[in-house]
Amino acid sequence: MALVPGRGVQALILSFLLVAACSTGGGTSSAPPLAGCNSGTKIALFWTSHTPPDTDSEKNIVDAFNKQSNTTCVKMVAVPGSETDIAKLTTAVRGGTGPDVYELDRFTVAERAAAGVLEDLTPYGAANMSGNYLDFAWKEALFKGKPYALPDDTDARVLYYNKDLLQAAGVTDLSALDMSKGAPTIDTIRGMANKVNKKVNGKYTVVGFAPRLNQGWHYTWGFAYGGSFFDAASCKVTPDDPKIVQAFKDMFYDWSAALGVNDLQTFESTYAPDTPPLPTEQDAFLTGHLGFVISGDWVLAWLQKYAPNLHYGITYIPVPHQGDQPATWAGGWSVVIPKGAKNGKGGFEFMKYFAGEPGQRTYAKETTHMPTLKSLLTDSTLFPGDHKLFVAMLPVAHSRPALPVGALYWDQLTIAQSAAEHHSKDPATALKEAATAVNAKLQQYCPLAT
Amino acid sequence: MIAAPRLRRLTVDERRSLRTALPFIAPWIVGFIAFTLYPIFYSLYLSFTRYSGFGDATPVGFENYAHMASDPLFWQALGNTFYYTALAVPVGVVVAIALAMMMNQNVREVAFYRAAFYLPSILPLFALTFIFIVLLNPGFGLVDYVLELVGLPAVNWLGDAHWTKISIVLLAQLGAGGPALIFLASLRAVPSELYEAAKLEGAGPIRSFYKITLPLITPVILFDIIYGTILGIQIFTPAFVLTGGTSGGGAYTTGPENSLLFYVFYLYKTAFQYSDMGFASAMAWVLFVISVVLAAGIMRWSKGWVHYESG
Repeated sequence: MALVPGRGVQALILSFLLVAACSTGGGTSSAPPLAGCNSGTKIALFWTSHTPPDTDSEKNIVDAFNKQSNTTCVKMVAVPGSETDIAKLTTAVRGGTGPDVYELDRFTVAERAAAGVLEDLTPYGAANMSGNYLDFAWKEALFKGKPYALPDDTDARVLYYNKDLLQAAGVTDLSALDMSKGAPTIDTIRGMANKVNKKVNGKYTVVGFAPRLNQGWHYTWGFAYGGSFFDAASCKVTPDDPKIVQAFKDMFYDWSAALGVNDLQTFESTYAPDTPPLPTEQDAFLTGHLGFVISGDWVLAWLQKYAPNLHYGITYIPVPHQGDQPATWAGGWSVVIPKGAKNGKGGFEFMKYFAGEPGQRTYAKETTHMPTLKSLLTDSTLFPGDHKLFVAMLPVAHSRPALPVGALYWDQLTIAQSAAEHHSKDPATALKEAATAVNAKLQQYCPLAT
Repeated sequence: MIAAPRLRRLTVDERRSLRTALPFIAPWIVGFIAFTLYPIFYSLYLSFTRYSGFGDATPVGFENYAHMASDPLFWQALGNTFYYTALAVPVGVVVAIALAMMMNQNVREVAFYRAAFYLPSILPLFALTFIFIVLLNPGFGLVDYVLELVGLPAVNWLGDAHWTKISIVLLAQLGAGGPALIFLASLRAVPSELYEAAKLEGAGPIRSFYKITLPLITPVILFDIIYGTILGIQIFTPAFVLTGGTSGGGAYTTGPENSLLFYVFYLYKTAFQYSDMGFASAMAWVLFVISVVLAAGIMRWSKGWVHYESG
């Protein structure tokens, strides 16, 4: 029973209508405002890859913004992604369904701007805001001299220690960790940490100090050893700087050899796995499996929330030699407008709020990150207890080089770090390979405009 | 091989039928051209350019292909992928056949066993991977607990570069239910009189398996090897989930010592983390060529051992 051609044509039209109907879903340019927004406002979509407890605070900021804005209604959506993975964003932007505001790790702003994912914020008047922000944070938001982001927070790294574990192991004299005496030496920390190590049935259940855990990154130890990661004059990355090589040798290669490469691996896989990471409340330091750990100021909020009875102390990141200047590095995030944003104007209005005084004040209080606004750093009420120690470090903190290959550089350094810790390569070879891989890619952007 | 029929002109009726049919399959044709054919050729073009995914693509000739030769990560990714495939495919075939034979037992509860063996195959790989992470934890995981109970040394499955790929091979076996069903169908297609005759001749079950069952299911084994190889060289999801997928959260970007940097994982990172669509497209085309060569090689090799009833 064959259909007559006329019906075939009808079927064709019907089929195309069906395809068209399927492909135009989601266009909601005149969406009504959400609950909590004022009437007559226009929706601006905000994407963040953060997770709780940070997103709890971000939601509070969004709610406060929506309450006071008569033009914009922000809808916040948590999306998959991370510091260097923005696959969700890039595919959405290319598909025309991207957000109006995205929260992006600041050290990748130049890289994403170079790739063409971000809008230049000059037309919105962002260039006039440079004086409000910490200098290093503002520089990270630039690409070829133009602003592509507003910095919304920063942080700093220190050495945390568990007083109960140290004292139980017989380390009762903690005066060497007093910050007024400057940074402790790595030898001092090693001596204390070794007493804390504990094995049950041949496996570590407590490790005094595992230098790479948490924030003990390549950058952390490279800076502590006075290394330089980028040479602006030659436009080349320099992870093979002898000081960084030495840092890798001492802190990753030799340290894991002393604890036992396999034993340390087993400990890390059990209590601090990367595959994938445990929830915050099961963090190895918070649960008493680490004597010392390098981490940032946000851990203060974790301690309050998840381990209020843990007796901890804070000191500078240890240095190789007595009397060396203490070093730390500051990172942080920013808000950007991706290409093709449908409500860039509303998005920028929100960004000014989020990365402005009201937003940063809330975020600093609730998550114990530090603000990037100079005006807030002098407000001591925002930094109760130990948090003020971090603020004092900011003026001398290092920051990662803001390069158009920042994510690749991070990954290559991490690969070298893994090779050194597992003894699959000696640090000098591993770092040389990282330099070769990154410089090959960096050359297409040289010379870099400052 | 079936000879291709000679082309002849369509009759009036056939042409009318075609005209009627075309509109019905038009959505598929349009979809195929727009979402499959066009991207395939567009990626070929992109493989000769430098392109971030935004703005204009800059032609660079064979630069991306030349860069592959000097990129140590490319070779490591290729090596990891071959290692995994070479291990996963034979293990997969053996497990699937074993599973199929268990499903083929003449017992009353066979329906229950079939469902139980097949169940893990319908769970999403993403969820299975998370279950696996807990099972393989060296401190409190069930697998190491059992190993130690029987006096074997515990293994750091996901933290030791020597074991990570083996862990993923084991994980892949949870999905063996799919191929096992195909093997089950082929087992049931083996004529029972062959077994009866063999029994009369005095052959035991092992001899029957090697002399009757195995030769008669070789076409399905060949299918499973080719299918498994193609899936194997595209391995991505377990590695992505295991490593957290990203560099910022975990210290190891792609497993300890890059041991889980598989080809497609590196391709993904190149495209979406490093914004290098040109290099990623070139990698995709090289993978395509590798797949074709492997499949052709397996087909050629199979002539020596695959038994076709009609042949």
